[in-house]
Amino acid sequence: MTNAIQVEHIAFGYWPQSLVLEDISFTARAGTFLAVVGPNGVGKSTLIAILGGLLKPRSGTVLLDGRNLRSYSTRAIARKITVVRQEFIPAFGFSVMETVLMARTPHYGQLGFESQADRDLAAQALSLTDTTQFASRPLANLSAGERQRVFIARALAQDTPILLLDEPTSCLDFRHQVGIYDLLKSIQLEKHRTIVAVTHDINLAAQYCDEALLLYPPCGPSDAEGTASTGQLRCRIGDTSAILTPQEIERAFGTRVFSGVVGRERFLLPLGTRAKDAGLSGRTSG
Amino acid sequence: MSSAGTIRRVRSVHRPLTPRMLLFRIVAAVVLLVLIMFLCSLVGPQDISLKAAMSRPANPAIANPSHQILVSVRIPRVLLAAMVGAALAASGVTFQALLRNPLADPYILGISSGAGLGAMLAIISGFSWTLWGRSPIAVFAFGGALGTVWLVWAIGRLTGKYHTTGLLLAGVVVNAFFSALILFLVSIAKSQELQATMFWLMGNMIEEDFLVLWVGGGCITAGIVALFFLSPQLNIISIGRQDARSIGVSVERTELAAFAVSAFITAIAVSMSGLIGFVGLIIPHAVRLVLGPDHRQLLPVSSLIGAVFLVVADTVARVIVAPAQLPVGVVTAMIGGPFFLILLIRYSRKVYWPT
Repeated sequence: MTNAIQVEHIAFGYWPQSLVLEDISFTARAGTFLAVVGPNGVGKSTLIAILGGLLKPRSGTVLLDGRNLRSYSTRAIARKITVVRQEFIPAFGFSVMETVLMARTPHYGQLGFESQADRDLAAQALSLTDTTQFASRPLANLSAGERQRVFIARALAQDTPILLLDEPTSCLDFRHQVGIYDLLKSIQLEKHRTIVAVTHDINLAAQYCDEALLLYPPCGPSDAEGTASTGQLRCRIGDTSAILTPQEIERAFGTRVFSGVVGRERFLLPLGTRAKDAGLSGRTSG
Repeated sequence: MSSAGTIRRVRSVHRPLTPRMLLFRIVAAVVLLVLIMFLCSLVGPQDISLKAAMSRPANPAIANPSHQILVSVRIPRVLLAAMVGAALAASGVTFQALLRNPLADPYILGISSGAGLGAMLAIISGFSWTLWGRSPIAVFAFGGALGTVWLVWAIGRLTGKYHTTGLLLAGVVVNAFFSALILFLVSIAKSQELQATMFWLMGNMIEEDFLVLWVGGGCITAGIVALFFLSPQLNIISIGRQDARSIGVSVERTELAAFAVSAFITAIAVSMSGLIGFVGLIIPHAVRLVLGPDHRQLLPVSSLIGAVFLVVADTVARVIVAPAQLPVGVVTAMIGGPFFLILLIRYSRKVYWPT
């Protein structure tokens, strides 16, 4: 199995004195579904931006199909990697269909127009994300959850081997959460896509992802492997069942979690001190 | 149903653009422009008929006065109005897209005050030389416009590469500073100089040198064509720089090229005709309201409609108080304002406005 994205000792900081990411190394193999998990401010979105070539790491390298990401042109990256981010800037009333069609730009010529094939692909992406009914509406007039599905439709229309998603289901209801994860899983398996998704939904990650990358905050535990210059462990990658354990999650997030087993997979539930079941301890199965 | 629900059921009026639609609309706008230019060149303080202008004078030694008015006054003036209108509208479209700001116009980054200051300096210093047949006023205005945009751009870069607010604020402050300098010069100017300055600042359409028209028109046309080639990227940049990069647009390069080209054509327009407000702000919005936001269409159609609008406005300016003439800037606001408000009320319920 080839490596789609290989990250070697990258560090990044927005300000000269501080580092958001430090000594991060991992590999996303082609055709896998990788979850990126970690507390707020640990650099998950920054990591996605670096993997997508939007930010330049201060040190270390990112290899895309074995070649340094910096050696690709912006357009060449856009043919290989799609980035779905949280941010939305309303712009002059572009409709949903127009927004999704923009993702076809890297595939047609400089002054090109979308071909019928591009239009079909965009229409298909809308239908897969349950957004066809919004096609002619201005994007800004949708709710946050509807818009999030449109952004995923746009990512599908860009049709690249690698998808990087920043909290793709943060605004979605239950039905659309599993809808999007089912969709991502199916394109991973059927089209052999590589998917890297930042998520706070550890339970969905456990159910759908193959591997998980857990990022620890700077004051996290120290460990022998994957440690930064300060001697602290900053990230750990492995099968979801090995990484998304109550112990690891408690260490990374600094909160108590309650866990149980659904069938094959574990579920994790954070419990604060004022929760109704705060008195419970340990694990249950069900 | 709640008001939010009603808003959300609104559909946009425009369909996604196809090459056929684009071609059809551009051809229609070109036909309209040619027709308007033709009609307006016959209208003026002295109406002339095409037949009179084209008829051969009985005595070849005496020139046909209608022909002379048409060729040496009306046609240059109509051509100038068309190219200035097109340049301002195209540049307005570009600035609105790049700054992601519906209030942006070609003057927002200080071109107007820079050009005004340049013109003022030329008038006060009383230069009498010419450069390639241009008066020092035009040359100084051109230099002042480009110099100011460069200054604002450089200051904007210092505030950070990743947002436009710094650039906009730099533009506003430089504009205010240069406007104060203009007022200072006005306060110490002699009355004759003052009149020349006011005449220039309010915009005028007098250009009789065909060579200047061809060169200026050629540069403006080339600039608009260049912007048209950037228009797919402008679409994508208007949804955000980071998203644009992840869709494969070289954001920095595109922004620099689009800024430079639109500043250049605006500076040409300003140096030829003075400050004409309103066209660069209103025409892009009017076209966007009616046809939708796709820049591949917005840019060429706005340019053509901007040309039509300024030709009409200038014709009104020269006939409405004939034999006197109004500054064309007064007319653009007086015709354009009510017309735009009608469009606004008619269409704005059907489109989304960025807030």
